[in-house]
Amino acid sequence: MKTIKEMDIFADGMRIFLDYVSRQLRKNPNYLPHPIIRAFGMAFQGIESLKNGECSMGFSSEGTKDSVYEPYIVVLKKQKNGVEVKEILNAKVGKQLSVDMMIIIFRLQIQLDKIEGDLIDPEEAVNALNYVIPGKKFYFLGNRWKEAKEEFMKLMKEGKIHLPPDPNIAEQLKQIRSETPWENYPNNIRALIGSFIAQKFDSRGGIVVITTPKKLKIEKYKVFDIATEFLMAEYARCLRLVSKKID
Amino acid sequence: MDIIKIYQGYFDIIEDYFGNIKHYLGPEEDSHINLGMDMANYPLISDLIFDATADIGLAIEKYWRDNIKNIMDYIIKDRNVLKCVYSGNISPPILENFVKKSALYIDTVILPDPIYSLCLMQKQITMDNKYYINRLIRNVFNIWKLKELILADTRERIILILPINLGIITQKEREILLKAGEAGFVSYISDLFGHDLVNNEACFDYMHRLETTEDVFNAIKKKEILPNEFKQFESFDSFLRAFYDSQKYLKISIRTVGERFGIYIRSQFIRVQEHKFFCEKLTAEPIYDNELAWFFFNYEIGGIDMDASIASALQQEKFEWITKVPLIALKKFREENKLEYMRSVIRKGITDLKAKSDRELIEVSKEIEKNLQEEFLRQKAEIEDLRSEVKKITKKDMPITTLGFIAGFIPVLRDVISLLTVGRDINRLVSRKKNITQELIGRESDFINLLMKSYENN
Repeated sequence: MKTIKEMDIFADGMRIFLDYVSRQLRKNPNYLPHPIIRAFGMAFQGIESLKNGECSMGFSSEGTKDSVYEPYIVVLKKQKNGVEVKEILNAKVGKQLSVDMMIIIFRLQIQLDKIEGDLIDPEEAVNALNYVIPGKKFYFLGNRWKEAKEEFMKLMKEGKIHLPPDPNIAEQLKQIRSETPWENYPNNIRALIGSFIAQKFDSRGGIVVITTPKKLKIEKYKVFDIATEFLMAEYARCLRLVSKKID
Repeated sequence: MDIIKIYQGYFDIIEDYFGNIKHYLGPEEDSHINLGMDMANYPLISDLIFDATADIGLAIEKYWRDNIKNIMDYIIKDRNVLKCVYSGNISPPILENFVKKSALYIDTVILPDPIYSLCLMQKQITMDNKYYINRLIRNVFNIWKLKELILADTRERIILILPINLGIITQKEREILLKAGEAGFVSYISDLFGHDLVNNEACFDYMHRLETTEDVFNAIKKKEILPNEFKQFESFDSFLRAFYDSQKYLKISIRTVGERFGIYIRSQFIRVQEHKFFCEKLTAEPIYDNELAWFFFNYEIGGIDMDASIASALQQEKFEWITKVPLIALKKFREENKLEYMRSVIRKGITDLKAKSDRELIEVSKEIEKNLQEEFLRQKAEIEDLRSEVKKITKKDMPITTLGFIAGFIPVLRDVISLLTVGRDINRLVSRKKNITQELIGRESDFINLLMKSYENN
């Protein structure tokens, strides 16, 4: 994945990050970073005692033994001049993550650690995501939800919106009154509105609008989910572009 | 108060943040410069390092809040020690070499904490993250390499780190200092360009109009009050370009070359006042490792005294050979309290008066070189004497006594001599030879001898 010359600095960057994790653990013995970090930490620790060419694996997940959530496997190989990342796998969906994606998750962890507790404001979540993912791809709807709703209704009247085949959606939309506060909109409807009006708020395209009402909080683990899903989708999009060009 | 323990705390913070990459504390004196650059230039990893170490500033600030009073008291109390406060850069580019030269003459170098300065700068003017990481890693390793020397058990501390910055003084002191710095700046610019500029704003209004380096250079009326580096157009231009390169990483906007020059000059006059303030507060002398910083201090404050002149003269390029002596030898030299002797060698014939009139340190550095050469010759002669004595014992005295003893031709002294006396003589010669050999080994691995060898190989 990386050339030998690059690997030294890569491993050193990882060591500095693991120093960060150790400091967090010292401050709070219950500190539990994202499973990808724990899996990486395990693999990295294991590699110290190996010979060149040997591999070390780390595995970590959330949840209980009956309901495993976010299981990650990281495999590292010891090389003469450093460490090579052989595999970063989300074992639940069976998808590989790139090293760059993993580093983004590490950086997101640091940003989220700055906010105490397991819940954060949606605006803070968007700021953290935009900080670690290049291109300011996330937009917090906040107070502009009325504008978004009106735009959505207008587009619908103009027949420019094709709703998903789920009959519940039309029903849910019918029940919304003009005075219905944003917090009372069903989650899926808020997300639907967000996806259709993204272009209005940012003409670049490929923007994710976070429609969570200002008053509500988001679980930190969901912010990681948003990031990984976004990165995997972007990665897949890039791969498609590359394969098209090759064809 | 255990000053070593306090400074151990400083290095504990560094270990906390960079302990996992301490394998870079290698013997190469400038490895920290490449390390900073390599890490800063590595895509994404540099962002991760930036984030993972972002709170080192908070840790360092807390450390200083807890310890600054104790360290200040310690420095101020110790009036019989020759101390020098460094200024001119965040830290000397290769701190190890700077200390090797300065510790030959002064007891204690007081060094502004580079980590504190960088973190404070980052907060105040926001640097490009990559630039910041480059400087942070470079400075951390620059100072970390000297941990052993900083924590060495010497009579006088060799290095003391302090958060020297306008941020740690009172508002009133800061205002006085800034006012004095600006007054110096206004007076210098007015004099330089031959205009009667009344204040800071008037200076910048005027300088803003000078758009190119040619405009600035041609507008200067009194080139004689410029530092040497600025007196020729080519070197002036390349300095301003390099200054621009360093400033582009700071998120401040500079519109014309004139403004850029003004910002540099103003920063120098404020730095001089800050330096002067801390020297007075800590009863210390100023020390510099670069000509420009030295020039502005001299221009503003006037000639400085002998000790400060010698300390700064030792930093000149011509004494680079001093840096070839290993750090461990310097540590031993200081642990054996040989500084006073070295100081007397170096300062021979140099007086306050001579130093004050020698603004470019040409005469002072010549005298230092001459004094060191004389001392080396004396050392060499002494070592030669010892070597000859060993040779004499080995080749002449011992064989005569031993042979005489074996053959019965015992050298007769004052008519009476016994076999026992001859036996004692042999023992005495063996023991004398052993002592001289020991002394020779000591002398040859001695700091002065290592210095001499380094000078000869130069």
